[in-house]
Amino acid sequence: MTSILKRFTNVAVAALVVAGSASLAFAADKEITFSGSGGVVGEVSKEVWFGPFEKDTGIKINHVAAEAKRMPQLEAMVKSGNVLWDAMEVSASDYPLGVKKDLFEAIDYSVVDPENKLPTDTREKFGVAYAAYSQVLIVRTDKLPEGKKMESWADFWDVKNFPGPRALRGRAEDNLEYALLADGVPAEDLYKVLSTEEGLDRAFAKMDEIKPHITTWWTSGAQSVQLLSDGEVYFCPSYNGRITTLVSSGIPAEIVWNGGAMHKSYIAIPKGTKHLKEAEEYVKYRTTNADHMREYVTHLPYPGWAPGLFEGMDQALAASMPTYPQNQAVQFAASAEFWAENLDAIQERWTEWLLK
Amino acid sequence: MNKKPFNLSKLILTGYFVVIIFYLTFPIFIIIPISFSNNPFLRFPPSNLGVLWYETYLGDSGWVESTLLSLKVALLACSVSTVIGTMAVLVLERQALRHKSLLTYFITSPIIVPHIFISLGMFIFAIRLGIDDNAITLAFAHATIAFPFVVLIVGASHRQLDPTFERAARVLGAGPVRAFFSAAFPSLLPGIVAAAVFSFFVSFDELIIAEFMMSGQQTLPMRIWADLKLEMRPTIAAVSSILIVVSIVGMGAAELLRRRSIKTLND
Amino acid sequence: MNAEKKITSTWLLWPALFMLVAFFLVPTLDILRASFFDPEFTTKHFVKLLGSSVYLDVLWRTIKLSIVVSLICAVIGYPISYFIVQRPRKQQIFFLFLIFIPLWMSVLIRSYAWMVVLGREGLFNSILIGLGITDQPVKMLFTTGAVYVAMVQILLPIQIVTCYSAMSEIDLDLIRAARILGAKPWQAIRRVFLPLTLDGTVTGAIIVFMLSMGFFITPALVGGRKDIMMANLIEFQVNQLNWGFAAAISIILLIGTVLSVIIIKRLSKILTRRLVGGGNA
Repeated sequence: MTSILKRFTNVAVAALVVAGSASLAFAADKEITFSGSGGVVGEVSKEVWFGPFEKDTGIKINHVAAEAKRMPQLEAMVKSGNVLWDAMEVSASDYPLGVKKDLFEAIDYSVVDPENKLPTDTREKFGVAYAAYSQVLIVRTDKLPEGKKMESWADFWDVKNFPGPRALRGRAEDNLEYALLADGVPAEDLYKVLSTEEGLDRAFAKMDEIKPHITTWWTSGAQSVQLLSDGEVYFCPSYNGRITTLVSSGIPAEIVWNGGAMHKSYIAIPKGTKHLKEAEEYVKYRTTNADHMREYVTHLPYPGWAPGLFEGMDQALAASMPTYPQNQAVQFAASAEFWAENLDAIQERWTEWLLK
Repeated sequence: MNKKPFNLSKLILTGYFVVIIFYLTFPIFIIIPISFSNNPFLRFPPSNLGVLWYETYLGDSGWVESTLLSLKVALLACSVSTVIGTMAVLVLERQALRHKSLLTYFITSPIIVPHIFISLGMFIFAIRLGIDDNAITLAFAHATIAFPFVVLIVGASHRQLDPTFERAARVLGAGPVRAFFSAAFPSLLPGIVAAAVFSFFVSFDELIIAEFMMSGQQTLPMRIWADLKLEMRPTIAAVSSILIVVSIVGMGAAELLRRRSIKTLND
Repeated sequence: MNAEKKITSTWLLWPALFMLVAFFLVPTLDILRASFFDPEFTTKHFVKLLGSSVYLDVLWRTIKLSIVVSLICAVIGYPISYFIVQRPRKQQIFFLFLIFIPLWMSVLIRSYAWMVVLGREGLFNSILIGLGITDQPVKMLFTTGAVYVAMVQILLPIQIVTCYSAMSEIDLDLIRAARILGAKPWQAIRRVFLPLTLDGTVTGAIIVFMLSMGFFITPALVGGRKDIMMANLIEFQVNQLNWGFAAAISIILLIGTVLSVIIIKRLSKILTRRLVGGGNA
């Protein structure tokens, strides 16, 4: 990266012989390292994707559970010229970042999707969308006033008719969109409005209204579910996949699809990988294999766009997917591009606003 | 001397001690019951009693391996940092060095530089050398952030040390090393032990550096955070409970062994 | 003899310096450089940082919170260390063991435990409502108070232990001697014991202070909307891969921390002088 470090490293390399480095040299030829989520997602992926992929292609997947610091790690690897990963998960907001910093290999669609079966908006230049996830309003139905139903962000903002503690996520993304929706902006105009100075003021003004009623600003998915489960808050946006656990543990809760923010997760290939061919093979498998994807969503409701995914899927299960036509129609597509462009400026204002 | 007020103040002090210990250990009384619930969330009081999360923990070799890895790394990190840190104290506290306070700030700076920078720097360093994803590298990285604590804690106890004994030992003909170990070391021991235990936990609970350095293997905090992203399952409560019980049992066993050995010595 | 001692002693510092330089200084400087070089020399990050009130505002909040936490720890911890040090050695080990037990729990789960206890439908509120003391749940969680409760629980052991290890060197006979010479118990403690132990207390408080300055998980989990720490801002910039700006924020944090520590040390010196020399109050 810079000269001090390089010089120092050279000296250190010459001076040190470290046994641990030897282990890398023995890595099998047909093996790729995949950096993805750990926890439940990792467990399910191992069973549904990595195992079958090895059986079908003979390529072994070495799964590295990297969480919050995936992008800084990737940048460090690319800059130091020693890229340890061959394929990786990239969240919607990280994708434009990686593109800007030139951290991904361009996707070769003649290999990944030769018959052009994937929807166009999932085929990005440096990554393929493999899963949709939504940040939707989750409502504790037992805490609603008699006979009422919360159906929109306008209702969430309506503290008179829907009293009770609420939480939002502690960041500007999604929240400003929710505020504009509550203020009556149609979903298709959201980013047009947000791009203007007046539009931004309008969103913050609407946020002012709800601010005193927000108990807390959550920072991790687990926290939002814990808040709902504890009865600490009654209404709170969270990931669509969390509802199943809540309901199965006996907590009456419901998703409001209307006004949900739909995001895409990408799978990308780090620039400088040593196993490009095998990595492309996996990208193809992960994004287009409908059978495994159908099995995956029975564990975690984060579906992709493999052609034929909904064919033969259980009706109730299908209806719980964010990409199910009826659900998708009432949500808005969160714009990663808008946020990549404007986040820095808006974040400063957001922090200032929180402290006020 | 009148005894009564003295005893009263002693009583108050003991009461105060009990209250503070209760406060310090309070989360344990919440977490152990939570760990015996079959709920998918942390719930207190626990309903639906069971040992589901213990089964999950013990049944998943990943969890157990992570725990063992963290223990291993922490033990190594704490040995390295304690030895190196104590050695540094002997110089810092005994020699008339120029710019000593500057040096002390330098030595304590790993505490105040945000770990994310240390992590990234170390990570780049390690992948260039090909020593990333290595428990020993991680232990040294942890030792680096733990050893300022050793310098501070042992240093504070060294400043209260009475130098007369060591001087006496030297006058009586002991070499510097022997004089140190026979005269100064025993008085420094509480400080050294405290510093060692503390640096053990600095490593044991460290997340960010581990997250950068390790890829194939996961330490316990990494494993806990991986779970947290989506849901807070009480497995974490089960892990904590097991660690606490094991440490109490270990302490009890050590005490028993000590008593028995004293007894055999006396017989 | 003097020369010989010097050689052996300075040698003892080398492993520490080597480890610091290799694992800390070189790698970290390399990253922090980004605040001034991007890649040419630039002051734009600092101009941007000082141009907005947010960063200094958050720095000030972080310092205030850390000072309160370290003061609470020092005040609560001192009598505890005193209590332990008075006991026979064997008991001391047992008490220290007790103090260390909570450290086996990850900081994360301890924060969640407080959420469960302090929440609207949590343990404390159930008790309060059950006893009829209040009929509306009291807001305890998501307040700065909750941050103090949780952070002191996490940091108190280090304060107690540092203070204890410094105290354990002090000859308790000194107090007895002072008493025999006619000092009242409180006077004996204030004039003799307190000045001798202040150094350990201050060291402990400084460690707690420095650690608090870098906290962000606990305040984010149990604190209110205004409990934003410098580390939160750094974290955000790092995730955006804005290394230069993140490094600039860190340097401001670093300066704030070092200045505060210098002030704390000065104040403690003045305090010691007052205790030993001064006033009859």
